[in-house]
Amino acid sequence: MYRRALTWLLRQTVKLDVYINRIYPSDWNPLYYTGGLAHFFLFLLVLSGILLFFYYVASLDGAYASIRYLSEEVPYGFLLRGLHRYAADGFIVAVLLHLFRNWFTDRYLFARDGPWISGMFLLILGGFVGVNGYQLVWDQRAQAVTEIFVAILGAVPLAGATLVRLFLGSEGISAAMLPRILFLHVGVASFLYVLLWWHYVRLRHPKIWPPATWVLLLLGLLVLLSALPGTRPTAGVPAQPGVRVTAYPLDVFFLLPFWLASYLPPGVVGAGLAGLLLLGYLIPYLKREDESRMGPRHAGVAQVIDGNCTGCELCYYDCPYDAIVMVPSPHPGLTKAAASRKLLAVVIDSRCVECGICVGACPFQALELPRFLEADLMRRIAELVRARAPA
Amino acid sequence: MKVIGFVCDWAVSTEGLVDGRGELKAYPGVHIVRIPCSGFMRPDWLEQSLRAGADGAFVTGCPYGDCLNREGNYLMRDRMEQLARRLQRRRVDPGRVAMFAHGLHDQQAFLAEVGAFLRRLESLPQPAARPVRPAVGAAAGEAAE
Ligand code: HEM
Ligand code: SF4
Ligand code: SF4
Repeated sequence: MYRRALTWLLRQTVKLDVYINRIYPSDWNPLYYTGGLAHFFLFLLVLSGILLFFYYVASLDGAYASIRYLSEEVPYGFLLRGLHRYAADGFIVAVLLHLFRNWFTDRYLFARDGPWISGMFLLILGGFVGVNGYQLVWDQRAQAVTEIFVAILGAVPLAGATLVRLFLGSEGISAAMLPRILFLHVGVASFLYVLLWWHYVRLRHPKIWPPATWVLLLLGLLVLLSALPGTRPTAGVPAQPGVRVTAYPLDVFFLLPFWLASYLPPGVVGAGLAGLLLLGYLIPYLKREDESRMGPRHAGVAQVIDGNCTGCELCYYDCPYDAIVMVPSPHPGLTKAAASRKLLAVVIDSRCVECGICVGACPFQALELPRFLEADLMRRIAELVRARAPA
Repeated sequence: MKVIGFVCDWAVSTEGLVDGRGELKAYPGVHIVRIPCSGFMRPDWLEQSLRAGADGAFVTGCPYGDCLNREGNYLMRDRMEQLARRLQRRRVDPGRVAMFAHGLHDQQAFLAEVGAFLRRLESLPQPAARPVRPAVGAAAGEAAE
């Protein structure tokens, strides 16, 4: 069932590419750069966030006024605020696209679970930072979001009350809250970069930047959205703790769980969310295919043939997953070319995704995929050609 | 016409395109060999295919930008350029090897490109390549007999 659904999703995802590639040259397909797009938006968020920080006042009576002042009195302040708002939406959309695309196109197989697990942490903390951002404004929406979030936290078995206290700084909404949230917003956002280091550590040359055309186009779009009267972020109604908030504009990208909370008990929403995220962590381990039937897709971890390796480092440069390290050669190789080598290639099994790119890189026949041997392939080619040879 | 087509297992689907012997129905004589990634190809294998007696050989990877292994098809494209220069030095027409990039559903585009490749091969002078030294595979094949 899972297998069939994923196969269907894979086919649809790749079909979408067929249409997109008719419009752009395939190197530009934005879906090939979802990680880079997420990173681009994150970069914009940090830049605009630093500038916002100069104006923001983290107090219950000052917060709303400071943001209103920024967007109405400061020249181009509305632009700054709009950029931060819409880049955040772009970020979460790009991250979700990235997640689904990597999932549907099998980019979690074998040793790719490192980027996947770090990616799940990025998703959770990125979402958390986004929700925090809406709280900082301290308008009615912020108040509603805070109340729902606190209700969800409070529904956590055993630890609930403690978590709420930690989050708010006291039993209820008080002056201690906004400085805390500001710290969480900025601190966790900075921590995303630590996670990104983990995310990239096994990817050689990660494509962290989309093509320039996309960067310019998106920047233009964000500026338009922030500046046009219809879409520019407006001042809501200031928060009034104690007064029930009945209606507030919903941000579909971050606040969907909060919308659900107006229909379901907070405990259920929280449990549902936690369950979904837990499933997310399991995805790399719920393999969809029977490994014995994967054929060339599961050719085994690359093996170095010690005697042939000359220490030329070509495989080391080409492995896209940084799975090959060069170590000082403990003994000379067997072939003439390898006799005076200084280095020896070693494959780190736990990082290898069985792609065989190192095999193609090695001019000295010193690498093999154990279930797809060169000798077998050459024999097969010879047979194929001979079978067709004119009598 | 004998052609070996090395096709990445994640790239264009050949379901329904090949017959029982692994040849393309539309172009008999074109054998499809599934490989783990286009970047897995040691360029030498294309030359070996020619020396073993094939008229041409090609590699097919995923569309550029969509390699499952991130960079396999770009790396292969670079290696093909180096191979072309090497073939020229050895008096083998580099027109006999080619690299294509087609995604899972691009069957029609893939067939069209193979067709164009075959027409190009037909226009090239014979023979394709002399077996200057015994091809590795051929020797291994003979030993097995
Ligand atoms: C802050 C959010 C994120 C950013 C900025 C980001 C960025 C990137 C970048 C730049 C790459 C390298 C792409 C390449 O060069 O091939 C990448 C790879 C990857 N990402 Fe993310 N990512 C984020 C979140 C996530 C999430 C939420 C997931 C899924 C749970 C995820 C899963 C992956 C996987 C599996 C790869 C490896 C793909 C491969 O091996 O081809 N990422 N990410
Ligand atoms: S490419 Fe081959 S010879 Fe060179 S270091 Fe790697 S395994 Fe050794
Ligand atoms: S097969 Fe080779 S290139 Fe691919 S991940 Fe493993 S060591 Fe790296």
